[in-house]
Amino acid sequence: MKMNKKYGILFAVLVVSVLLVFATSVGQSKEPGVEEIKIGIVAPLTGGASTTGTDMWQSAVLAAEQINAKGGVDVGGVYVPITLVKGDTETSRESGVKAVTKLITEDKVDLLIGGFSSGITYADQVVAAEHKVPFIITGASSPIVTRRTDIDTSYFFHHCPTTDDYPEATLLFVNEVVKPEIYERFNFSEDRPLRLGVLYQDSKYGEGVYEGIRKAIEKHNLNMEIVSAEKFKMSETDFRTVLTVIKESKPDVVYVAAFLNEQTLIVTQGRKDVGMNTIYLSVECNDDPDYYTGVGRWGEYSIQESRFSPYAIPSGPIHEVVEKFKEDFKNRWGTSPSMMGASTYEGVYIAAEAIKNAGTLDKEKVRASLVELEMPQIVEVMQNGVINFSSDYRESKFALYMEQLIWNESVGETRPKIVWPDSIKETDFVLPDWYEPGSSPAATATATKATEECKTLWYFDEESLKCQQKEFCGMYMYKGLRTFETEEECKAALDKYLREKREVKETPAPEEPGFEAFLTIASLLAIAYMVQRRRK
Amino acid sequence: MEPGVLIQILVWGLYAGCIYILLAIGLNLIFGVMKVVNFAHGELLMLGAYATFWIYTLSGVNPYLIIALAMIILGIIGVFIERLCFRPIKGTGKLNEIFLSLGLIYLFQNLAALLWTTDSRSIHSPYSNVSVSVGSVRLPLDYIIIILFTIVFLIAFQLFMKRTTIGRAMRATSQNRDAAALMGINVERMDMLSFALGSALAAAAGSLWLISGQIVDPYMGSIPAIKAFAVVIIGGLGSIPGAIVAGLTLGIAENVVPLFMQSFAGLLGVSMSFTAWKDTIAFFILIIVLVIRPTGIFGEKGE
Repeated sequence: MKMNKKYGILFAVLVVSVLLVFATSVGQSKEPGVEEIKIGIVAPLTGGASTTGTDMWQSAVLAAEQINAKGGVDVGGVYVPITLVKGDTETSRESGVKAVTKLITEDKVDLLIGGFSSGITYADQVVAAEHKVPFIITGASSPIVTRRTDIDTSYFFHHCPTTDDYPEATLLFVNEVVKPEIYERFNFSEDRPLRLGVLYQDSKYGEGVYEGIRKAIEKHNLNMEIVSAEKFKMSETDFRTVLTVIKESKPDVVYVAAFLNEQTLIVTQGRKDVGMNTIYLSVECNDDPDYYTGVGRWGEYSIQESRFSPYAIPSGPIHEVVEKFKEDFKNRWGTSPSMMGASTYEGVYIAAEAIKNAGTLDKEKVRASLVELEMPQIVEVMQNGVINFSSDYRESKFALYMEQLIWNESVGETRPKIVWPDSIKETDFVLPDWYEPGSSPAATATATKATEECKTLWYFDEESLKCQQKEFCGMYMYKGLRTFETEEECKAALDKYLREKREVKETPAPEEPGFEAFLTIASLLAIAYMVQRRRK
Repeated sequence: MEPGVLIQILVWGLYAGCIYILLAIGLNLIFGVMKVVNFAHGELLMLGAYATFWIYTLSGVNPYLIIALAMIILGIIGVFIERLCFRPIKGTGKLNEIFLSLGLIYLFQNLAALLWTTDSRSIHSPYSNVSVSVGSVRLPLDYIIIILFTIVFLIAFQLFMKRTTIGRAMRATSQNRDAAALMGINVERMDMLSFALGSALAAAAGSLWLISGQIVDPYMGSIPAIKAFAVVIIGGLGSIPGAIVAGLTLGIAENVVPLFMQSFAGLLGVSMSFTAWKDTIAFFILIIVLVIRPTGIFGEKGE
């Protein structure tokens, strides 16, 4: 009897459970088995980069709320809401790995978005690769995140300009706009290479930018010379010595690859303490209200590469969309969005579009959908106005622009104005009166204009030992320059000069001791030591 | 390298040395009297900088005049730390003291983040546009003021320690605590005063750091603190003259040595930048000193 009662209760429980399951699943307009789209937001919500991470999270939340307000994402004909899950990297590699592992194994997210800092993303993406989870990377600038060969990167989509993109746009701008202004004011010859000083962070990001600079110069055959390349450790605060070293190399412009706090100190210390009155070039991550507050007047006329600015909005069709995004963000969070926030916001929309196109949450199908994705730009200007990922390394291409910081008396800070490209610029580039160029014998305070007497002459000098022709204006003479009316006179003089140079018996200058000298001295010392020991 | 450039770099090194000296003397004072290593000393520098920032932002007063106020505020905080944190655990073991001060690091960092957020803060000195020409070298006035301030602080500190009753009592306590107690010196009060004075010196270092154009955020104290520990060990635990010599040496070395290394590498035909090795220089010097003289330059055996 007792056994029958027990089995009876068990059977009743089973029936009730089955009925409950049916009851909860009936009447819901969702894809069978899919109740929500879970997206993990990988960002530094605590630690040194928490300001950026918080912005990324807030932007993602805004995007998700907007999508959900319209019913959610259409997944195979039914609308599914997005649920965001925080993955706090705590601005460290170890915590980044932990965060991504938790998102994938415990929270069971369908997709990842975010990833600030190339170094941290480099570590935590390994986990995503192992589990084959699509990851839209919106915060790491090193191209290595989709180009590394030690893991399968086919699930990673890089929606952030790379360290190759920043220098390319920046140096093209310098070549087209800044260099002509400098050369015109100081009467430099077109043959003279622009002198570029580089100061970069000792990290994947900094080294990536430096490599990008070299690639850009080579790719576009720019007449530029890197006269100084110095590194600094991440989070460094005292740049005076290294800036003094760069100043000694006499650059025309200084390209800095640094984070916000570092960039602020570099520009202020460079101008205020070291007295290097040059044009400072900055990478986009510093287009931030804190930067404008921090640099004060010292940052005036410096150049900021950007794709989303808190203050400047490109003209054209995107203007209205960006204004609305900023307004929505301010209404939701009470502050302005930053660049990383903008790309993370787009990341959520990209994910939604890819899932909609895939019609499923199957990760492989979503990945394939991301590969094929093509959608209109959202709040950041993209090349050709379209968001898509390249077929080789799954990188999206942004249309970067250049801003110049101009002092705004009413707010007591500098504000960025877009100065390039012409299609979206707000104002012209200004070469400030206090600007001091790099080394050139012809550079004097009394810069002359084309209104002075000019004549076309043949010339050679100690740097370029060949006859060339160009226009000389005003006071153009410098040591080693020789000018002639005709090409024949120039060639004859050059031949004579070269002959005399070969014949002259100069007192040989002592050669600097090289490695051989070091080895010889070390060997002699070692022999002397061994002889002494034997005697003992 | 031009002599003018070298002089300018020496000045930067001198400035850095001044900050390390102020921080290290405070650390030495606390250790000397209380025999406690305060790992949260860098956070006291950070709080001192924030105190100056806050008062300057609210009042607009010349930041150099705010230094004294910041020192008083941190002195009071130092009293509370000693009374509420270190005194209850005195005598319970060194490990407890170490973990307590490590805990204070996180407490102060998070407190600062709560009060001022993690955003970086800075102020602009009223003399930031002023430079003084010394021969062919142009030196910003702020750095000259900072170096002079440090000299004045050190002189005042030495006079305090040598010529005042309290100073002599603190020195007696650091030399022999039991004997000092037997002689009627209130050693617990000396602990409190030494912590207050050490905190005040850290506040001075933080204020000067901020005024020179540096940035303050809740996490900025760790690197200067590590350097201060290196200075203390190089100079000798408990030695004030040692802290001065070591602080200057470290400040100048970390600015000048990378350049010499770069020049030496150039002679060997290697083009390489060593400026990112600044911090490494400090610990390299530390290792050399410890190998040659484990007690530090001016340290005594037994410490």
